[in-house]
Formats: sequence, structure tokens, C-alpha cells
Amino acid sequence: MRKIFYCIVLLMLISCDHIERENRLIYEKPATAKRVVLLEDFTGQRCVNCPKGTEVIEQLIAEYGDTAVVAVGIHGGPLGFSGNDTTTGLATEVGDEYYQHWNLEYQPVGLVNRHHPVNYPEWAAAVKEELGKPAPINLQVSAVINNSIIYIHVDALGTEGLTNGMLQIWILEDGIRAMQMMPDGSSNPDYIHHHVFRKAVNGTWGEETTIKEGEKYSWEFSQAADPEWNTSKLSIVAFVYNDNGVQQVSKTKIIQ
Amino acid sequence: MCCCLAGTAQEQQGITFSGSIQSDMLIPQDDEDTGATKERDFLTNTYADLLLQSKHVDAGLRFEYMEHPLPGFEKDFAGWGVPNFWIKGRLGKKVELTAGTFYEQFGSGFVLRTYEERSMGIDNSLLGARIVLKPVEGVTLKALSGKQRCYWSWNKALISGADAEVSLDDFFSFLQNYHTHLIVGASWVNKYDDSDEKAYVTPSYRVNFPQFVNAWDVRASLNHGPWSLLAEYAQKGPDPAFLNGYNFRKGSAAMLSGSYSKKGLSVLLQVKRSENMSFKSTYDISKAVGTSSTINYLPPFTQDQTYELATLYPYATQVASGEWAYQAELGYNFKSKTPLGGKYGMLVKVNFSHIHGINRQFYDSTDDVFAMTDGYSSLFFKWGDGTYFQNLDITVTRKLSKDFKLNLMYMNQHYNMTVVEGGGGMVHSNIFIADGKYQISRKTTIRGELQYLATKDDLKDWIYGMLELSLVPHWMITVADLYNIGDTHIHYYQGLVTCNFGQHRIQAGYVRTKVGYSCAGGVCRWIPATKGFTISYNYNF
Repeated sequence: MRKIFYCIVLLMLISCDHIERENRLIYEKPATAKRVVLLEDFTGQRCVNCPKGTEVIEQLIAEYGDTAVVAVGIHGGPLGFSGNDTTTGLATEVGDEYYQHWNLEYQPVGLVNRHHPVNYPEWAAAVKEELGKPAPINLQVSAVINNSIIYIHVDALGTEGLTNGMLQIWILEDGIRAMQMMPDGSSNPDYIHHHVFRKAVNGTWGEETTIKEGEKYSWEFSQAADPEWNTSKLSIVAFVYNDNGVQQVSKTKIIQ
Repeated sequence: MCCCLAGTAQEQQGITFSGSIQSDMLIPQDDEDTGATKERDFLTNTYADLLLQSKHVDAGLRFEYMEHPLPGFEKDFAGWGVPNFWIKGRLGKKVELTAGTFYEQFGSGFVLRTYEERSMGIDNSLLGARIVLKPVEGVTLKALSGKQRCYWSWNKALISGADAEVSLDDFFSFLQNYHTHLIVGASWVNKYDDSDEKAYVTPSYRVNFPQFVNAWDVRASLNHGPWSLLAEYAQKGPDPAFLNGYNFRKGSAAMLSGSYSKKGLSVLLQVKRSENMSFKSTYDISKAVGTSSTINYLPPFTQDQTYELATLYPYATQVASGEWAYQAELGYNFKSKTPLGGKYGMLVKVNFSHIHGINRQFYDSTDDVFAMTDGYSSLFFKWGDGTYFQNLDITVTRKLSKDFKLNLMYMNQHYNMTVVEGGGGMVHSNIFIADGKYQISRKTTIRGELQYLATKDDLKDWIYGMLELSLVPHWMITVADLYNIGDTHIHYYQGLVTCNFGQHRIQAGYVRTKVGYSCAGGVCRWIPATKGFTISYNYNF
């Protein structure tokens, strides 16, 4: 009996473990960007943890810049909000369709270069891994707005083999002031939402394209600006994706 | 539609073969009003347990078929197979050895409780080995090690533990002389996880997950005549996880429970403080955010409710963030043939529970990323974060005549929807329930419920009515309707017929259920709205 008692006391003492502060986190050198990475943040205005995902995005952009990490906030799913007479909603039917298509179960959750759902504490690891991979194409997008019509120009150059996939063009908007549920459960009516998905210019899933190594390609698109959009805060994202994920991404502000 | 399976109970040379089948089925339909969707023609959760027992060896297994499960379960829940299988050997009354899958609980479960709760989709059994020793009268020792089930796989972490419980009145005669029972116990649990999960707190810093996490528990239980007292304390070592914001702060749980019970009178007083006690067998966020992979259990200090409107806003124990929980209950049976007791007596029960947030002052990590790993500071006795849940219910049960029994209940409830569900604010409601049961004849009973929930919050007022006709021994017919008077004006109805024939029980009907939380033991699951034909079959052999 006594031995058992001593053993239990010993085990409890062992369990009084303390991990020194400097051993709790591991520093990892940020990646050197070999390409641009697309981070689709499936978010919602009624999702209390979604601002935590936004914080991670801000950290990633601060670390790598928005020319290396292109984040898109796709509002929809069960915690998305479509708006009512008094409150602006950012959820879209296309956002809902994406949420359903990717078989997502909760929010926030992200797709990093469209590989598989990733939880926000793991976005940094996924982004780092993707940044280190070379892309088979170069992509460049530019856009101007004239008389409320957005004119989009996309250039592509094949740099490695043959790429079959879909070219997708999206319109994003920054700086939208709208309600957001916060991690403490409160509702913030003045939350500023950035990189909000607004419109898929060339269909929900884009259009087919084939890009060969060493060859140049160009596309032109136009889209009427929705009166509710603040055109000075709009940007365009263009990317090519296939079953192996997103092959390359480009983002630009719209020139007024 | 009827599902019939046959089984036989037989005893051959001291070997007993028994088992059970449970199959819950739904033929779903779309419902625009409630948002219920039909994704498949047929959904079922089906379980078949088989058990072989003999003098020295028992063995069992469970077949589960949830390839297309009922709505509301996580995607990983879908599948089928034999996830539970075990063999247990006994050497006299002193040694018991189990190999395979098993369930275990140390004390109140603060550091270890593996259990099955089918309605919640919980089966967190361990696959490994366990030994139980009773070396002398009054002493029970347990040791175990295994990997925890997570739906259709087992988590990589190895869970090991030991528990000792000593009944001191078996050793000290003066306790026996005073008719006092004193049991002391201690437990230890270790999680060993060397998986390579990567969680980042910034793009340059990732969490260094500890390979070992220890937790321990001490407890004492004293019984003397009508008095009982239980004191228990548990502590968990640094266990950074998604649910606690990757802090390295220790977790703890302390509980004091006292009761007095003698004929006609019962009193219960309980208090519990817990913080940072979420204990999971995986760091994988997608597994850890659900109900799976939980090693421990914190008992809820709220009254278990069965009435429909009393369960509309159920409380889920806040394991990770912590809580102060208080519960008091008084029960008094007014004797028959007294002014208040009347001809048949009257039972009055009053229950009060209050759950409050604990004090937490989070460290600022703006300039020091390591500060966030400290989490927060907390003053033990200080409250914080506001009320999470409060419930006062008064129940009066009285037999008004030889054939008629009435149960009346009033409940005043505060439900912090933001804390439990993530948004919605505080829902304050008053609930009134009348439950009458009338025995028409020796074999025929009719029972009716009328319930009303009044609130200015959430979806406003609700009303519920139910009639149940029992024709013993075989039949029961139930019709019920839950109606939202406030915002939605939607009826949630059900009509069910239940038949019992021997060891078979079949329930069939048509139901329309609302979206919301379903809870059991303080653990909750989000269930979408459903509509369709439902069949439930149970068989024991």
C-alpha cells in the first residue's frame, strides 16, 4: 500500500510540469516566395471566430506582402449573412456554392491554393509550403474602370510544361464597413472588411484554358460595376487552377 | 417499413450469449419552411452488440453501420465496421484484465472518462489494455493504456493512466462504529503525442506541442447516515490547443458536493470551478473542435430536463474557457392526509443552478509573441465574463385522485446564447409546464403535456402540446406539436406509434424537427432541421 501511495505522489509531482516560455514556440524562417499563393478564407459575418482568421491573413500579408499572398474573403455558408433592410450583408449565392462545393463543415476555414480545407492556425504552414513551390506559368492582370465598366486584361506566359485548367476572374472589394460578430460574442457594426469576394466575372468556375511552355496568352473581360460597390476600393484577382490546385495567381487594383 | 432480426439467447456449459440491436432510421424529405434538406433517400444509425460471458472470460464486439447517418453528425462519423471488440479475463475476484476496446472513468471524470452516448455520436473508447486489481478488501487499483477512438480510426496519442481508490472504513474500525464510509481516491493520466501537427501563432512562430501532458485528480467521499460529502480536485499540465488559444497555462477543476437525504426530504448543494480543462487526444483541429477525441469529462451542474420546452435552450459545459458552477436542490414530500399533502401526498422540488464565467485577464502579446502562450491570469474566487446560464425550476407532483396524477413545473431560465452558440445574446425565458396522467382502465393510460415558453428574446414565445395513449403491454400512440408563436410561426409536429412485442420494440412515425442543439450531460451537438418518416427498432436477446 505504502509503495503504491508513493508511486501516486511521484506521478503527481512529475505531472507538475512547467514548460519555459522560450521553449513554447519554434521560430521558422519565412519562405522565399517563388510564386503567388491564393488563400480563400471562407468566412461569415455571424462567425465569432472569423476575425481571428482575418488576423492571420493580416499577419501573412505583413510578412510576405499582398503580391505574394492573395487573400479572398468568401462570405457564405451557415454563418454568412446576406443582409436585410438595416444591415449590410456580404454573403453571396456564389459564396454559398463554393462553400458547398468544397464540402466545408465550419467557419473560418481556408483553402490554400485549393488543395484541401485548412484551419486558420495552419494557414501559415500551408502558405509557406505553397510559396516555396515553383509555378508553371506567369500571370499578370490589369484593370481600369470607365463609365462604371471595369475592363480587365490578363496576360499569361507558360514557363513549365503544359498547363490545362480553368482561368478564373474575381472582383474583390476592400474597406467595407459592415456588421461582424466578434470572438467575445459581441456584434461590431463598424467592422471593416477587406478583400471581400464580390463577383465571379467569367462564371462561378471560370473558363477552360491551355497554356504551353514558352507561349504567351491574353484575355480581355469587362464587367459592369454594381452601384453598391465602392469602385475606388475594388481589385481584380485572376488565377488558373486545375485538379492539382491553383497554378498561379495575380492581383491588381483597378485604375480609375 | 419494418426491420426484423432474430437472435437467440443460449446457455451452454456456463457460457451465455446475449446482445442487442438498435437501429434508428429516417426517410428524409425537403422542407422549405424549416430548411430541412433531403440528401439521400434513407439514413440510419445502426448498432449491434454481441456479448459472450463465462465464469472466467467475457468477450464482446459491436458492429456499427452509419454509412449514411442521421443528420447532424460530423462528416467523419459516416462509416461502418466493428470499432469495438474486447476480451476480459478474471482471476478470482482480485484481478481483471481487459484487452481490446474499453470504457473507463476515474472519479467524476475530470481527468479520464471514456463513454458512449449514441444520441450525441460520442464513442471515445480506448483501444489497448486495462488491469483492475483488488488486492485486499476496500482497495481498487486500475491501470490502463490505449489509443482513443476517433470515429473510424484511432488517434495517434497514447493515453495511459492509473487510479487508486481506498475505502478507509474497511481499515479503520472506528469509522465502521460510527457507520461512516470514507473513500479516498487518486488518479493520474498521461497523454503521449509525438505527432507533427503544425499550428502557427504568427507566420514565423509555431507552437511547440509538448509530447507529454499529465493530469491528476484527488478526491474524498464521506457518507454518514443521511449526509454525503464529495470533494474532488484535478489539475492538468500545459496542453496548448486550438480550443484554449494555444496557451500553456495549467488547467484545473475543483468540486465540492454535499447532500442530505432522509425519508421525505432531500437537499443537494454543489459548487465547481473549472478552467482550461479541455483535454483532447489529438492536436488536429478538425478532430478536436467536435465532440470526438475527448479524454475527460466535466459533469454539468444543471438539472437534466426532459420536457420539450425545458430543453429548448440547453447548456453546454464550457470546458476550455472555464466556469464557476453552483447548484442547489431541495426536495420535500408532503405526507398524505396532511393539509398540503392531501389524500395522496405531494412532492415539491426546487432546483437552482447558476453558471458564471471565471475571471480572466489576458496578457497583451502585441510586442511579445511569447506572452500569448501564458494565456491569462485568473483570480480563483473572482467572477468574470457574466452569467453563462441560470435556471430556477419548481416542480410540484401530486396525485389528485386514484386515477389522475398531475405534474406542474415553473422554470425561470437565463441562457447565454453567445457563450454557448457563438451569438444571440442572453435569452431570458419563463416556462410553464403541466403534465397530467390519467389511468382510464387497468391497461389504458392517457398522458398529456401542455407547455409554454415566454421570452422577448431570440425567436420569442413557444407553445407545445402532447398526447400519449398507452395500451399496455404492447402499444403506445403519441402526437405532439411544437409551435413558435413569436417569429417563425412554424409547427414542428410528430406522430409516433410504438409497439413492444417480447424483446422487440418498434417505433414508427412522421416527424418535423427544428434546428438546434441537442445536449446530453453538458455536451452538445448541433442538429439541423429534419422532416420525414422515422423508424426506430430495438431488440435485446
